[in-house]
This record gives sequence, C-alpha cells and structure tokens, in this order.
Amino acid sequence: MNPEPFLQLDRVIHEKGRLAIMSMLAASPELSFTELRDALTMTDGNLTTHIRALQQEGYVAVAKSYQNNRPLTTCSLTPTGRKAFAEYINLLEQIIRQTRSK
Amino acid sequence: MESNWAAEHLQTIRTLMERSAVYRRALAPIMFFVGSIGVLAAVAGLVFHLDLPRAFGGLWLGAALVAVAGAFLIARRQAFKDREPFWSPPTRRVTQALLPPLTAGMFLGVVFVLVGLGNEFALAFIWLLFYGCALHAAGFFVPRGVKLFGWVYIALAGGCLLFLVIFHPDVEWSAHWLMGFFFGVLHLAYGAYLYLTEKGKNAV
Repeated sequence: MNPEPFLQLDRVIHEKGRLAIMSMLAASPELSFTELRDALTMTDGNLTTHIRALQQEGYVAVAKSYQNNRPLTTCSLTPTGRKAFAEYINLLEQIIRQTRSK
Repeated sequence: MESNWAAEHLQTIRTLMERSAVYRRALAPIMFFVGSIGVLAAVAGLVFHLDLPRAFGGLWLGAALVAVAGAFLIARRQAFKDREPFWSPPTRRVTQALLPPLTAGMFLGVVFVLVGLGNEFALAFIWLLFYGCALHAAGFFVPRGVKLFGWVYIALAGGCLLFLVIFHPDVEWSAHWLMGFFFGVLHLAYGAYLYLTEKGKNAV
C-alpha cells in the first residue's frame, strides 16, 4: 500500500477532538461555543484548547459579540480550514480506495 | 485494517456533520403550548358555536397565529437561556421546511374565511393534512420522532376523512372536536412523551 496519503493527513485535524469540531463546523456556517460544547460533550477547557489550536493554524475563526447583553462566542471555518478539511476527507477516501483495490 | 479505520473516521465525520445541522431546542414545552392553544380554541368554538365556515376559519387561523408566535417565543427563550443564537442555521432550516405547507394552509384558510367556501370539515381536513406534511418536512432537521408525528397526522386525518366520506357523509357533530383532538390532544400527548424522554431540556 502506498503510505503517502496516510502521511499527508493533516495532524492538526487528525486529532479526535479537533476533527469533531471541524466536522461540526463544516456542516454549519457558524456554531456557538455552547452548541459545540454540548454537542461534543467536551469541557470548556478542552474545547477552548482545541479551538485555539485550530485558530492558530488558521482553520477556525472565532467571533465574540453580545446578544441580549450576554457574551456570545461563535466559531466558523475559515476558507483555509474548509480547504484543509476537504483535503483531509479526500485523503481518507484515497486510503479506502487504495486498500480495497489491493 | 487501514481501510476500516478510514471508513470509521469518515462515518464519524458524517454523523457529526448531520448532528451539526439538527435542531436541538427542547420540543416538549412547545408541544404543550401548541396543544393547550388547540384545546382552548376547540372549547371556545364549541361554547360559542363558531361553526359557520367564516367563524370557524377565523377562530382557527387566529389560534394558529398565537401558537406559531408562542412557539417562536419559547424557542427564543430557550436559546437565550442556553446563551446560543436564536436564528441559528438549524432554526432557519426548520422554519424553511415548515413554511411552504403552513403558508399554503393559511392561504386556503383565508380564502375560506373571505369567501365562506365549502364547509368547516373540508377546511379542517385540508389543514390537518398540510400540517402533517409540514411536520414531516421539519422532521428532517429535528430529532425525536417529529417525522413520524407528521405521518401520524397524515394517516389519521386521511383515514378519518375516508371513513367519514364513505360511512358518515352527513356529519352531525362539530368540526371543533376534530380540530381539538388533532391540534390539542395529540400535541399534548406528544409533549408528555417528549417531557418524559427529553432529559434536562424542558426548563423554559
């Protein structure tokens, strides 16, 4: 089997928690911090750490605003993040195809 | 081995993407509210004998407006409490799914009210069938059996209509009983089911 697709997998996205965040954001224009936390049953600290890692990579944009005088944090995928996620999925599909064609 | 691993990863991604698009507000309070409005409207219709097509249509169109406005306020309050945006993508999808059948039903209702067309039973069954379609469409973006609930409306209302047309074409009882059962009692029953099965989500 050609190991190249596996080696090309984006290590930032490949981590379980970050992959979950990217998947959720890929299907929605934006999600609030609490929506992500509740849907993925992560702790605040855990989610913050993962979002920060994705933000540093330029994959996720975080916007802070106020709704009814209460702070609201929303996250969305950046164009770079969307492209990286699409490439990650393509590589997964490539791995499946390669293994099945053996 | 690698193939299994990659396929499982893709499946996880697909599941998470689907979950991201699903409406997650608690539905039990909304069902209780809509059911209560349905029962109240039916009682008002029966007590005040609002049986002429215009009066019937007017009463139930008004009840529908109150129910929709109340449901939106409850959903908004839940979103506010959870510190989440109300007009989120899942809320938009549910609204978009509900709108066409509900709008079609509203237009027919308005025509009945303005022109005094047909009889109130015809209007009631048209509304019930449209409402079933609306629930079924919204069910694609809402968990908790809403799609099935839509089918219950379509099947029960359709069956009831067929039964009446074939066996009792000259119905003597008021159509408010029909509306009260479907829009009142059924919502209350579904609300009770949701209340007992939605853990920790029902505080409004």
